[in-house]
Amino acid sequence: MSATREDVGGTPLPPGWAKPAHQPDAFELTTTTFEERAAKTMARPFARGAIANATDHAAALTTARFVGTDHQALREEARRIRAHAIANLPDYLDQWIDQAERKGTIVHYASDESEARRIVAQICTDQQITRVVKSKSMASEEVSLNSALEAVGVDIYETDLGEFVVQAMGDRPGHVIAPILHRTKDEVHELFSAMAGHELPNEAEALTAFAREGLRHAFLTADAGISGGNFLIAETGDVLIVTNEGNGRLTTSLPPIHIALVGIEKVLPRRRDLAVLLPLLTGHGTGQQITTYVSVSAGPRRQGEPDGPEQMHVVLLDAGRSALLGGEFEEALHCIRCGACQNVCPVYRQVGGHAYGWVYGGPIGAVLTPLFRGQEEAGELAQATTLCGACDDVCPVKIPLHDLLLGLRRRSDADGHVPRHEQLAFALWAQVWSRPLLYRATTAVARGSLRTLARDGVVSAKNPLLRRWTAGRDLIVDRRPR
Amino acid sequence: MTDRASFLAAIRSTPRGLDPGLPDRRDAPDAPTQLREGENRADRLQAEAEAASTVVHRVTANDVAATVASVLVETNSQRIALTTDLAPFVEDVQAAMSVAGLTGSIYAEVASNRAQAGALDATVTGCIAAVAASGSIVTSAAGAGRAGALIAPTHICVVRDEQIVGGLHELFDGDVLAEAGSLFALQSGPSRSADIEKVLILGVHGPGNVHLVIVAPD
Ligand code: SF4
Repeated sequence: MSATREDVGGTPLPPGWAKPAHQPDAFELTTTTFEERAAKTMARPFARGAIANATDHAAALTTARFVGTDHQALREEARRIRAHAIANLPDYLDQWIDQAERKGTIVHYASDESEARRIVAQICTDQQITRVVKSKSMASEEVSLNSALEAVGVDIYETDLGEFVVQAMGDRPGHVIAPILHRTKDEVHELFSAMAGHELPNEAEALTAFAREGLRHAFLTADAGISGGNFLIAETGDVLIVTNEGNGRLTTSLPPIHIALVGIEKVLPRRRDLAVLLPLLTGHGTGQQITTYVSVSAGPRRQGEPDGPEQMHVVLLDAGRSALLGGEFEEALHCIRCGACQNVCPVYRQVGGHAYGWVYGGPIGAVLTPLFRGQEEAGELAQATTLCGACDDVCPVKIPLHDLLLGLRRRSDADGHVPRHEQLAFALWAQVWSRPLLYRATTAVARGSLRTLARDGVVSAKNPLLRRWTAGRDLIVDRRPR
Repeated sequence: MTDRASFLAAIRSTPRGLDPGLPDRRDAPDAPTQLREGENRADRLQAEAEAASTVVHRVTANDVAATVASVLVETNSQRIALTTDLAPFVEDVQAAMSVAGLTGSIYAEVASNRAQAGALDATVTGCIAAVAASGSIVTSAAGAGRAGALIAPTHICVVRDEQIVGGLHELFDGDVLAEAGSLFALQSGPSRSADIEKVLILGVHGPGNVHLVIVAPD
């Protein structure tokens, strides 16, 4: 092993940091329903308020960012680049592999989630890796990588501040780019004070400094860094990572081995395509001009370079992606994971990311989860939308999320995955509303009964009747003074 | 284990979706990360860098070393490393530092020991380019190293006027990236996080204190 590794090997981490906490896998889908998971977030007023505020803020910043430019033309350009890359996916992947290998990257192929876990665990065993720093990777969440590595004796440190909190709490990330949107400063304060063994100041700055110090130590002593990848560039064999904290670059720079787990759909043809996609990824994601750190690497450290890993491994992950090619849902693969559709989704804003039960939340989560996990497990997610179309308008690569959701609903209905009481209700409703007289009679009755439930024209969220609709919102029946 | 051939064969066996064709770069639409008509590169770089909380110094070549030294003194930096892409200013900067009572090592010598590199207070680097419209510096593995520009709490980067490109298109179409080595990176201001209740914190894993020294043309 490299000299770098010997220098610091075995250096203990501060007390409280010795063993990272175990983070549960994304398994809730199989044991709970959307409604049950949503209720958990909705029962925490802070989480609901924070999610709505933060998402409002992000949406406003995005709009401001593109003033004075031809935003629509840029989105169309991005859509074409993504559509072209996906339509030619095998060719671009082939080219990427050639280029990456030429630069010394070791490429691995994972057809499914379990193969991805096996490959990374095998690298860790072969290279005697026992401490890993990780920068945020949704792909690794998809395959539940952490558990697989813990099983072979690897300590994993999530280094994104939010992900670190999530890990230490034994929680799951709640938003694709803001993992602890649903958590309060007080909760972080309590957690970090317990880790430190003494009371820390309850300020974001001090709490961040505490995390930085411990994680810096992990960076300096880790045997490997594991990351995801935002894009793969076919022309040059590059893996691109964006972060605001800088943990992505440190992950790929300091430890002697870098392992990136990347979905095959992340391919872009050329570096110059980044000039179109980067401003959209950040502009729609956080509203920034550009993400603070954009790191583009191909292969391990070369002769004469002052630092960098001795080995670079990339694990290409299929896991349900190629099955979407050429089909009704192919456009779901165009997603660049900016999170904008979550921010504008009225359902996400109420229920948060956990309700979607797996890795991805919001409209794209409602699309990807049933596609990757199967209709049986996740078909109900296609119902977790108001079909208002706000997501279509905000998606930087113009994915028709609304159509995809409708398609999934159709598929789910055709498979008979509609709850029985709902089927009955809809059958009855169709019967009644297709007859004008009956229609008028029922709406009059409905209005009348809502008025009796309402106070000052509003059915309160606390009303036990109509609970499913009013949980989380008041139902405005009639604002007219009586 | 799946190998390359069977992995790609599985993907190739799927039906092919609609291909709109790859757009031609010449018709690329405007983006916030492009320079606008008639805009001055150095001015835009300064404005964008400041918007991202970078402290900008506009100096002539003669004043580079003194400016760098004074920032190092102000930030109370003791353990300091310089990267080789700081050329042609390395010797001047070292001289000015010693006048101020500071010494700096060459980053390549420190970097072979992670613990030492991780204990640095400040790094002084050059860059291979700067992007005016995004307020970014571009560093390379061959020059500043992978971590040279973000390992310490204070980072000072020196950029010469002729290194400034207008926007991202100009960066990716040009040839500066060809010699970057195993990594190139765009870096735009201090490391930041708003994870805890959306309060913006600078200096999470990378530097909280970022200075950009823009050197005017001769
Ligand atoms: S579907 Fe579109 S808006 Fe949603 S995360 Fe993906 S790219 Fe962003």
